Amino acid sequence: MNRLSKLAVNSEGFIFDPTTGDSYTVNPTGLFIINSLRDGKEIDQIAEELSKEFEDTPEEISKDISEFVSHLYTYNLY
Amino acid sequence: MNELKIAVSGINAVDNPGPGVGIARALKEDPDLNVKIIGLAYDAMEPGIYMDWVVDKTFILSYPSSGKDALLERLAYIKKSYGLDYIIPNLDSELPLYTKYTKEIEALGVEVFVPTENQYKLRAKDKLVQVAEKINIDIPKTAVVNSPDELIKAVDKIGLPVMVKGAYYKAERAYTTQEAISHFHKISAEWGFPIILQEVVKGEELNVVGVGDGEGNMIGKLGIKKMWITSLGKIWTGVTIKNELMLNAADNFVKEYKWKGPFELECIVDKNKIYLIEINPRFPAWSYFATGCGINLPANMVKKSFGLPFEENQDYEAGKLYVRYTYETITDMKTFQNVITKGEN
Repeated sequence: MNRLSKLAVNSEGFIFDPTTGDSYTVNPTGLFIINSLRDGKEIDQIAEELSKEFEDTPEEISKDISEFVSHLYTYNLY
Repeated sequence: MNELKIAVSGINAVDNPGPGVGIARALKEDPDLNVKIIGLAYDAMEPGIYMDWVVDKTFILSYPSSGKDALLERLAYIKKSYGLDYIIPNLDSELPLYTKYTKEIEALGVEVFVPTENQYKLRAKDKLVQVAEKINIDIPKTAVVNSPDELIKAVDKIGLPVMVKGAYYKAERAYTTQEAISHFHKISAEWGFPIILQEVVKGEELNVVGVGDGEGNMIGKLGIKKMWITSLGKIWTGVTIKNELMLNAADNFVKEYKWKGPFELECIVDKNKIYLIEINPRFPAWSYFATGCGINLPANMVKKSFGLPFEENQDYEAGKLYVRYTYETITDMKTFQNVITKGEN
């Protein structure tokens, strides 16, 4: 989480990690999740909010978010 | 302020560029300094000679292998004929002379700001283990060897693939013990002994340029990642970063060794682990990057030398991009003729 707070994230989904110099791009949903995590929101809460825009249930969306977070771990961003 | 005549070497802005042109440009751009740049070249084709908007006057030097007397004689001539207040030597091959004969150069009335002879020795790859321990940074498993027998034992311990390095120059990767022995013979024939074997570590190559004031303080520093390199391994695009592990290691390096002058640390970072790969006791060729980010390292080093005020260890922004490009200049033969016939222009 500490690492996530250091990232430079723009509104287009471009992410720059100032510790490593690596950059990434995410789609609008990924950007929403990253910004929500940076705001300190829990996965369930983010899923609840996303379920208003998608047809999936909050439980299904939670699974997808967890998978996304595991990618962040892999890239040492979370 | 009074005009300062500052000489810089390494004005070979070619595909393996020297640092000189970027340093000259940094000095020219500093609003507090009033400088005339003297380019010190070893060949009439060094592009800096022809960049008269950066280099005001050029002198050809004899190669460093000509020794101390040839250097001192030439510097005395430059001082007398044109004026010379300060020298920034930028090439590895020159540093042994400048670190060893600092007093003799200063006796000519020319300031230099280079590491001491003992500090200079720290850059040798067989000293890296000791430096890494002291500045709290890891180092890949390393062995110093002097014979093929020692090499075979060391490869058994370190494993394959392995880097085979000369004490000062050259590094080759070996995938088999036989290949390592072949590199051992080739590198030792060219650069002498000892040979250093080093574990191949995974991770991103990150670099930091800095200048130590010789009293344990950092004049300034900038951390970068090379994003795009040429086939010779030279940076073409880079980005500023703030990797605390690396920047702290640079601070510790300056503090522990009271490092005097410019330096570059080359590191490999793998998540939370950082390895020291190399110490260069001079400005790297991309030093203008720091100037462009608001930290004019060459100018601040000159100010430190002459007791002028400057802001120490300034902050910078991560995410600034460095982009090299090629450019051409067209000139007549006069400059070339002067350099060839008179050794100066």
